[in-house]
Amino acid sequence: MNNATSTDKLKQLWLLTRPYVFALGLAFLFTGIMLGLLGFNVWEAFKALITTSFSSKFQIVETFKKFTPLVLTTFAFAIPFQIKFFNIGSTGQMIMGGTIATMLGLGMSSFRVPSALAIILILTAAALTGAFYALIAGALKAYHNINPIISTIMLNFVAMQFTNFVATTPPWQAPLTGHPMSKELPKWMLLPRLFSELHIGFLIALGMVAFVYFIMKKTVIGYEIESVGHNQRAAEIHGINIKKTTLVTFFLGGLLAGLAGGIEVLGVHGRLVEGFAVTSGAEYGTFGTLTALISGAEPLAVPAVAFLMSILLNGADSLQRRLMVPVELVFLTQALIVILVVTMRERFRKR
Amino acid sequence: MNVVNELLKQMVAYTPIYTLSSLGLVIGGRAGIFNVSGEGTMLAAASAGYIVALQTGNWLLGILASAAMGAAFGFTLVFIHETTKVSQFIIGISLVILGAGLSDLLYKLVLGVQLFIPEAPKVPEVRIPLLSRIPFLSAFINQNVIVYLTYALVILVYYFLYKTKPGLELRAVGENPKAADVVGINVTLTRYLTTTLGGALLGIAGGYLPLVVTGTYTPNITNGRGFIAVGIAIFASWRPERTFLGALLFAAIEAIALQMQLSGTVIPYQFFLMTPFIGILVVMWLFKKKVEFPASLGKPYSRE
Amino acid sequence: MAKDITNILEARGVSKRFGEVQALYKVDFSVRKGEIHGLLGENGAGKSTLMNILYGLYKPDEGEIYIEGKRVEIHSPLDSIRLGIGMIHQMSTLVPEFTAVENIVLGTEESGSRLNIDFSRARKEILELSEKFGLRFPLDVKVKELSAGTKQKIEIIRALYRKAKILILDEPTAYLVGDEFDQLLSSLKILVDNGVTVIFITHKIREVMQACHRASVLKGGRMQGTVDIEKTSKEELVSLMFTGQNIDVTDSALPNVIPEPVERSEKPVCVIKNLNTYPIVKDGIVLKDVSFEVYGGEIFGIAGISGNGQKELAEAIVNPSIIASGEVIINGKTTTNLSTIDIFKMGVFYTPEDRVYEAILPTASIKKNLLLGHHRDNAFLGRMRTLRWNRIKGVSRELIKRFNVKTPHEELEIRKLSGGNIQKVVFARALMNPIDLLVTHNPTAGLDMASVKFVFEQLLELRRNGKAVLYLNEDLDELMIVSDRIGVLHEGRLVGIFNRDEFDKNKIGALMIGG
Repeated sequence: MNNATSTDKLKQLWLLTRPYVFALGLAFLFTGIMLGLLGFNVWEAFKALITTSFSSKFQIVETFKKFTPLVLTTFAFAIPFQIKFFNIGSTGQMIMGGTIATMLGLGMSSFRVPSALAIILILTAAALTGAFYALIAGALKAYHNINPIISTIMLNFVAMQFTNFVATTPPWQAPLTGHPMSKELPKWMLLPRLFSELHIGFLIALGMVAFVYFIMKKTVIGYEIESVGHNQRAAEIHGINIKKTTLVTFFLGGLLAGLAGGIEVLGVHGRLVEGFAVTSGAEYGTFGTLTALISGAEPLAVPAVAFLMSILLNGADSLQRRLMVPVELVFLTQALIVILVVTMRERFRKR
Repeated sequence: MNVVNELLKQMVAYTPIYTLSSLGLVIGGRAGIFNVSGEGTMLAAASAGYIVALQTGNWLLGILASAAMGAAFGFTLVFIHETTKVSQFIIGISLVILGAGLSDLLYKLVLGVQLFIPEAPKVPEVRIPLLSRIPFLSAFINQNVIVYLTYALVILVYYFLYKTKPGLELRAVGENPKAADVVGINVTLTRYLTTTLGGALLGIAGGYLPLVVTGTYTPNITNGRGFIAVGIAIFASWRPERTFLGALLFAAIEAIALQMQLSGTVIPYQFFLMTPFIGILVVMWLFKKKVEFPASLGKPYSRE
Repeated sequence: MAKDITNILEARGVSKRFGEVQALYKVDFSVRKGEIHGLLGENGAGKSTLMNILYGLYKPDEGEIYIEGKRVEIHSPLDSIRLGIGMIHQMSTLVPEFTAVENIVLGTEESGSRLNIDFSRARKEILELSEKFGLRFPLDVKVKELSAGTKQKIEIIRALYRKAKILILDEPTAYLVGDEFDQLLSSLKILVDNGVTVIFITHKIREVMQACHRASVLKGGRMQGTVDIEKTSKEELVSLMFTGQNIDVTDSALPNVIPEPVERSEKPVCVIKNLNTYPIVKDGIVLKDVSFEVYGGEIFGIAGISGNGQKELAEAIVNPSIIASGEVIINGKTTTNLSTIDIFKMGVFYTPEDRVYEAILPTASIKKNLLLGHHRDNAFLGRMRTLRWNRIKGVSRELIKRFNVKTPHEELEIRKLSGGNIQKVVFARALMNPIDLLVTHNPTAGLDMASVKFVFEQLLELRRNGKAVLYLNEDLDELMIVSDRIGVLHEGRLVGIFNRDEFDKNKIGALMIGG
């Protein structure tokens, strides 16, 4: 009897993971063939891709450092996606958050306030900046029925220009540098380290994972968001305000993306650098979108998939450094994984 | 006078980017497929077109390569959607990212990392004698051949959609696929053809960038224009003749922003570069009450 | 009438399975040339599935089809059209944005060249067909602006324009009222006289008796038999349709329940006063100056053709934000400026028209579906606006038992239940807390007889307990069975109220079409 249920559970687990196994298998097969055709050592490449992140303390820390903003931008997409809206704007929300954080930090640098206070203030400002920036797209959807795919992307481009402006204009601009970047923030304003290069942003991100889980699974707001996602019309008829729910999801998503921007500025760069939201060849926002789509935007799956994605991204960097494999190839693999995962998920659901 | 004419000419030269791309989206959209992958399609097509034109020394082969790459993207989208019924938006967004990766990868693999980026052969200009001396009008006709192709395509697509039998059938598929199905129109085939053909037009728009506008390929050469095309298709209510007007508007915005940036005003140039993106939001807001779209746009169709 | 005894169409041993549901099992079915052949059965009996197979929309798992004695393969509607089969679907399959002429020529091979349509020739042919069969309609108006009855005429001409010899009508009377049914009958007679064969699908015994020469009865996907209408009786058809079920039915094939006398309350539970609304959908209909009262112990029926303001009326009661002027008063208190949740807390609940698209969260669990609308009840709220999931689970289990929902547990996705069981969940949600007013719109649509009976019993139970019910239904037969009064909506206006002793199908039907 006990045996039967455990094989049943195994079978269920297999049914659940089957689409992912197939998708990953196919995507890696494709990548392997590409690598082989291009004359790389396929075995070495895969080894580097997967094991780099565990090869040293430094690499483990690097993986966690990628995970921190990635899990936040993944949620930034995943939360509005609960009600079928696409927030492709986490890039814009993140860099706006980072930019405002820098402006605020530089403005505060001559007032000596306690470090903790400054950090809390700056991160809150960054998060709120992201939240309100996302709210523009949310309001355009809720009140003017403008497709968020378009509006969030347009806002990304606006944000990029704004960041470039701040990074190349006095009083913020760092003098005598070729790349657009701001002056350095004072050391006391930066995020304290947990160990080696790992900053407390990592813990903040983990806290946010718990926060999102609590909101989505335990509260009325979470139930309302879920209901709208299942059937907007039925939710509306039974007393759920669709406009408000739309605004809430974009606000929450933007909040997390903005926070990611603040954490990257205070935790990694110590200043605003154009392209600070880019990792392994593309924006954290883009990878967040991919990660969210792979995880099916399920709050529990998001951190796990984001962690796997961080390992892959870290591996991709090392692949480029050591074997001269173009980082875009890994990028391509990830887009392929998304397409295969959603396809496989749909295929296996039908049977 | 001369300045205005130059500006007009610049604007007309930008028009095919927006016209061809949004026209490509309209053709697929009229049959119900909402293709948001424009940015990725155009990027991959720009890269392919540039590489082929450079390697063969022939601009036409370059444009054809762009069209083929675009068609491949369109086909991929409709193939995955029709076989699995996965959301068109999810596939589209994935293809945007795929295209961004593929474009740079192709370039790096074929040409490697180079200090000096060679210019590809440019699409030739065609001057029409006499007419080209008339001010203003000359801006519209002293142009490269793709511009003329664009004029022809707008008229052709309009005529096809609204005056012919296959056009009527195509629109029926987009409005009510069930209705089209029960009278014996092949819904799936229609969607395959239109989305693939639309992808080819997006591809030409992508190839136009390196082969006409800049002469070289640079990463992220589309810079959001593939998304602006989606915006134009929406506020043009998925009508071909209106996409041309929308394209003129955004070509004008781009030409003027460039002029302003070069002439150097007190306003930081970044704010000029923002204008097309804010512009799309503004026109979508202005036209929100007037926009219409095919009733089955973005929705999967299956009989059972 | 002289009938050719040869079978123009024959299906042998047709089976079709959808997932776990055996929709058809080894069905034999034959139709003679030039007859009107009824296909009778309850909802879910497999009528539409069989017809969709004949029309090439579904592929049968097994079985053969013969047309005029020849074995045929039908893979698509195009094959079926070429074999001379035309289908008039229950839901209009016209392109709303196109005119009648555009819809009729759409997809045809004859009209003009491959590239162009000869519209003037097509128009002439369409007018000729219209005249011949007495089916007239405007040619150049977008069909989205036409009534359901007119759309049906266009669909029939569309089939005839394609030279259909066999016409399948799927529940053609669903949206017809008053003398529209008689008009349809006389058109069908002309068709048959011209050699066309008609298959008439319905679940109403009365219609088969009036319209058909012969009828076949389907039950649970199996063919029960074919009878000659002249040699059969209503009772025989009932026994074929409902073998094994002990249900007393009326001649519309509805459960025969008789409301007992109940004292109606002195004060009305719900007062609707000079109500005007905004449209719910773009360019949709609005209510115009609607006033009436619903008392406790009363079922107030609302009759009308679909789309004449029923949805707007029902929604205005639970969602005042669509009210433009006038007011709704519940137990003496106005609902102006209240939210839907506030109104639910006043003892009102609503079961909307469309079960799948409006009433439930199809991909959520039964438990989460039961919570919908009650999710802000104090009983379910803990600290920090958290939901007390344990309590919700307990209540769900009680309700599943009380309403006899057939499910293994409360975590099952609701879409995996049958229509009847889904409706039980919808009613369980509405009746979870004691309520004073139930607004219910088409609660019986698409349900089998036992489930229809369940719904009627719930409404009568509320009435017995002195509660008020506002019962909106497009099917007049159903309304007349349980209602105490019936109000008629036409183009957003309440054009008449009838007491039970004044119920008259023809009079009410005439008002429904604006007569």
